[in-house]
Amino acid sequence: MTTESAPDRGHSEFLARRTGLVMPALLLVAGVVLAIGTFTMDVPSGVASPGPQMFPAFISVACLVFAVLLAVDVLRKPEPEQVAARTAPATGGTAARTAEPTTATPDGQATAPAATPDRDTTAVGGATAAGETSAVGGAAVEEPLRIRSNRPAVLGLVGTVIVFIALLVPLGWIIAGALLFWGVARTLGSRRPVFDIFVAVAMSSSIQLAFSAGLGLNLPPGILAGVF
Amino acid sequence: MNQLSNLGDGFLTVLTPMNLLWVFVGALLGTAVGVLPGLGSAMAVALLLPVTFSLDPIGAFIMFAGVLFGGLFGDSISGILMNTPGNSTAIASTIEGHKMAQDGRAAQALATSAIASFFGGTVAAILVVFFAPSLARLATHFGPAEYLALAVFAFVAISAVVGESILRGLTSLVIGLAIALVGIDGMSGASRFTGGMPELFDGINIVVITVGLLALGEVIAVAARRGTKEEAKLITSAGRLWLSRKEFRLALPAWVRGTTIGVPFGIIPVGGSEVPTFLAYGTERRLAARKPGNMFGRGDGRGVAGPEAAGNATASTAMGALLALGLPTSATAAVLLAAFRQYGLQPGPLLFERASELVWALLASFFIGMVVLLILNLPFAPLWAKLLKVPRHYLYAGITVFAMLGIYATSSKVFDLVLVLAIGLLGFGMRRYGLPVAPVLIGVILGPLAETEFRRTMAVSEGDPFALVSSPISATLYIVLALGVTGLLVQRSRARKKEESRLMTPVA
Repeated sequence: MTTESAPDRGHSEFLARRTGLVMPALLLVAGVVLAIGTFTMDVPSGVASPGPQMFPAFISVACLVFAVLLAVDVLRKPEPEQVAARTAPATGGTAARTAEPTTATPDGQATAPAATPDRDTTAVGGATAAGETSAVGGAAVEEPLRIRSNRPAVLGLVGTVIVFIALLVPLGWIIAGALLFWGVARTLGSRRPVFDIFVAVAMSSSIQLAFSAGLGLNLPPGILAGVF
Repeated sequence: MNQLSNLGDGFLTVLTPMNLLWVFVGALLGTAVGVLPGLGSAMAVALLLPVTFSLDPIGAFIMFAGVLFGGLFGDSISGILMNTPGNSTAIASTIEGHKMAQDGRAAQALATSAIASFFGGTVAAILVVFFAPSLARLATHFGPAEYLALAVFAFVAISAVVGESILRGLTSLVIGLAIALVGIDGMSGASRFTGGMPELFDGINIVVITVGLLALGEVIAVAARRGTKEEAKLITSAGRLWLSRKEFRLALPAWVRGTTIGVPFGIIPVGGSEVPTFLAYGTERRLAARKPGNMFGRGDGRGVAGPEAAGNATASTAMGALLALGLPTSATAAVLLAAFRQYGLQPGPLLFERASELVWALLASFFIGMVVLLILNLPFAPLWAKLLKVPRHYLYAGITVFAMLGIYATSSKVFDLVLVLAIGLLGFGMRRYGLPVAPVLIGVILGPLAETEFRRTMAVSEGDPFALVSSPISATLYIVLALGVTGLLVQRSRARKKEESRLMTPVA
């Protein structure tokens, strides 16, 4: 393939366009774990001939094979060079990932900087666009862009969920659920934290009423046990 | 005409106020979820699964039917008005639909789409009523080898068709198969990959997997996309919602053609409605090019009518295949199969005997659901679009809360919440790096079945591998599969060449 990274691009640029290697790495780990688990499995005696180890062994080999194939695929077809433009004004390419755009205001930074046409990147960009949201026969052929991942938002969301999981039983559904709603709304860009508290509490309380009292689902009462 | 009297009984079951309410609630929820970009009926059913435990199975399943078709009615609304299809099944009808909306014919596009959904779904449901019982009777002759062949067919077909590359589809399938391995092996009692944790002895709950992959994964993906250019403009739909006689006459053949294309795709496991919708779109486009009055490229109603009818026809017959064969042919069907299992029911030939009341009530609810959805969608489509104006952060926060509620309510185990987060992150990674999610679900659900049937075949034949292909039915299935995959590869490389040449020449 012709997509060897040019010498002027740095090492980090090479990896930045190939963060997709995470998936083969995950598969590799899964394959190894499955292989170890298969070898160390306690098989009850007297099991019919294709025993419980055959299928896992097959899957673990498949995991390893596809890890390699996918890694090759990712290495050969890197993501587009240009990262998608943010609606918030950004100072530079890499500075963007550190700034939390809570005060983002949409401005006219819609047009992407032109990238050098690259056949491979076109194919990848077109594929993701078709699979995701935009329609295939879109009006103008736009320059393919690498998907920008808003890391603070992802971390905030995952953190919120972890806090929710930790607090659900001790604090009970109403408080933990409200916290979850509030936190997710906040990381997804809500700018009215105080108003959100009311929305969140209303949401979790009405769920408690509808599902616990109405449908008989088992929700942890937590510290508000006496109230309900 | 045994089917008709059975169906009549089904209608009697559904036409009680309470069950009608469930159809209505399902249709409402399904449309709402369908309208939202990135969320489809599979996720809606997965989210509802835990919540419906306190309902009786009939109530729950007719609600699921409403959700299933509601999702298909709803997903084209956001596609037409915003150019962001609610689901991958609406991509094909979005192409012309959005152009119609830009041309000031949004209302007609919505009406064409709603009637197409109704037409395709209803016609296919009628076919299911007449042919599903015979299909089920045929399936009673299936032994382990045939079921293994069907599962392999589903694996390969869904991995090859969903998504852009076969490699990625198969990778997703392997991920699903690996997840399904966790738990105690039913045939030997050996504990596999549980790490000694009793929580994992029953395996990872399918609800955890679907909610994690489809709901939480999507929410994380939305968080990751935050701040990038993604907001699309909503075109307001005004004017008459009815089609003129001329428009109707133009759209009717497209509805019929779309339905004809869609029906067979529900029975063969190719992973949902993407292929038939695009086939229908291509057919309409080619047919229109031959005659004067071709509006393709500027918003042609036929480009909406064909794919929408095909999509719903596929969904209907896919339900028939699920009921009669126990074989999920799409992600939504896979989730519904999980739902059947939650209620201790196994779809397949015996379901028509063991739970015939449920089956016929479900089939009857298809028809009632279609009528309800037509009423909900034809006049109120612009109202549904208002849902897109609810701030995203509240929508997705609500979805997260419901996902967590559902998971905890099913098992009352905090451990499952940790699992759902882990699988949600996996789902996000797969979305981010272009791995399709549907094969994972098929792998998780059919993986254990494939393993069991394989081991049974081998045990019966005493290790003779020819037993796998010796019966005519399984041999035929493997041959059809091989031919299909070859044909697909040829067609793909052709399409790629065409696409390249199209990109090279400037658009006139």
